[in-house]
Amino acid sequence: MQIVIIGSGVAGVSFAERYRALSPDDEITVVTREHDGYYSRPLLSRGFTKADIEQSIILKPFDKLRENNINVLCGVEVTAINRVDKSIAINSSWSPRFPTDCDTSAVPDSRQKKALQYDKLIIAQGSAAFIPPPFRPYEKLFFCLNSLVDLKALRKFRQDFLNKNQRPSWAIVGGGLIGCEVASDLAVAGDDVTLFHAMDRLMERQLVAEDSALLLKVLQDSGVKVLLNQAVKEIVKEDGMVCVRTEITAEFDGLLVACGFKPRTELAELAGLEIGRGIKVNQQMQTSDESIFALGDVAELPNGKLYAFILPIRNQALWLAEFLAGQKQDSWTPPVFTTKAKVHGFEAAHPYNV
Amino acid sequence: MSDYKKYQCSICGHIYDEAEGDPDTGVMPGTLWEDIPADWRCPECGAEKSAYDLIV
Repeated sequence: MQIVIIGSGVAGVSFAERYRALSPDDEITVVTREHDGYYSRPLLSRGFTKADIEQSIILKPFDKLRENNINVLCGVEVTAINRVDKSIAINSSWSPRFPTDCDTSAVPDSRQKKALQYDKLIIAQGSAAFIPPPFRPYEKLFFCLNSLVDLKALRKFRQDFLNKNQRPSWAIVGGGLIGCEVASDLAVAGDDVTLFHAMDRLMERQLVAEDSALLLKVLQDSGVKVLLNQAVKEIVKEDGMVCVRTEITAEFDGLLVACGFKPRTELAELAGLEIGRGIKVNQQMQTSDESIFALGDVAELPNGKLYAFILPIRNQALWLAEFLAGQKQDSWTPPVFTTKAKVHGFEAAHPYNV
Repeated sequence: MSDYKKYQCSICGHIYDEAEGDPDTGVMPGTLWEDIPADWRCPECGAEKSAYDLIV
């Protein structure tokens, strides 16, 4: 049997490894747009205080998966899912901007599209950063932090200032988990940070009001200027600075938008799979096509939930590997889990709402 | 009869079993939790050692 997995995050890699261990004879192929290996997404938020992050964030080089008899096609974009002949179309030349040491020899002509047959397809593409509609015309003016490629771009931008003995000033739009974590990390790294949040308290979805207040104080103490109730109306570039307009206008060197995530459902939608906010799956993680499964924060369970934290995602992936290997018959049930914001010096007094 | 303990990563659920160690990250079978270097990280999610809890 040919198992094809789209995506090399925690869902795709955990599934591939567990399935490999349980089913030695099936062929497993991971197709990913990433170049650098399997890396720790939670550590992206500590990308400015750890000097060696670009190396230490890599938990498993792709060669390590290959040694384990898992094929990896990296630096590759999947352009279509063809459900009729059970294949995916892939294109390996989508991103020549990023040099790669990936082995593209598995794709005979790297300039051309190629089809890859599957018996079972696992969609584990994860999410992109959610960009609120008012920001979309200005994509060249801001950064996101959703991948190692994003982090490297941010670090390079920042390093150019440090090389000139300057410190960049940052505006971060979004006072949710990622926005608070990155604001904290940049401030602790020594930069000037302003955090804009549209709501009246930080991380209002995960924290009780008392903890939001504590988080505010911790961030302020580390030097972050926090502006609540700030709906960003416009961003413009003037004289090399990015201007953020709320009630007032303020100028910054760099702007980071951290307004949540948007599941990558486009491929599945084009293929005619049932879509809600994510790709709709049943309790067996199976999409509306019986040969196609979805895992991780791209998968929407029958209760309407998308699980975006590492623990339930890894749990889903291991469960599905066991299910497809015939070791489980029941259905996936979410494990008990919690989270913890990686804000320097912050410990919530109450449980997080996940 | 062994007294080896198990520890679980609270971020991703990875289980460290002292009996098995984690040879891929250079931790030999039989390595006690307290003997793992402080800068060791969860091999699945990169969490720090402090993110692990003893499984009782």
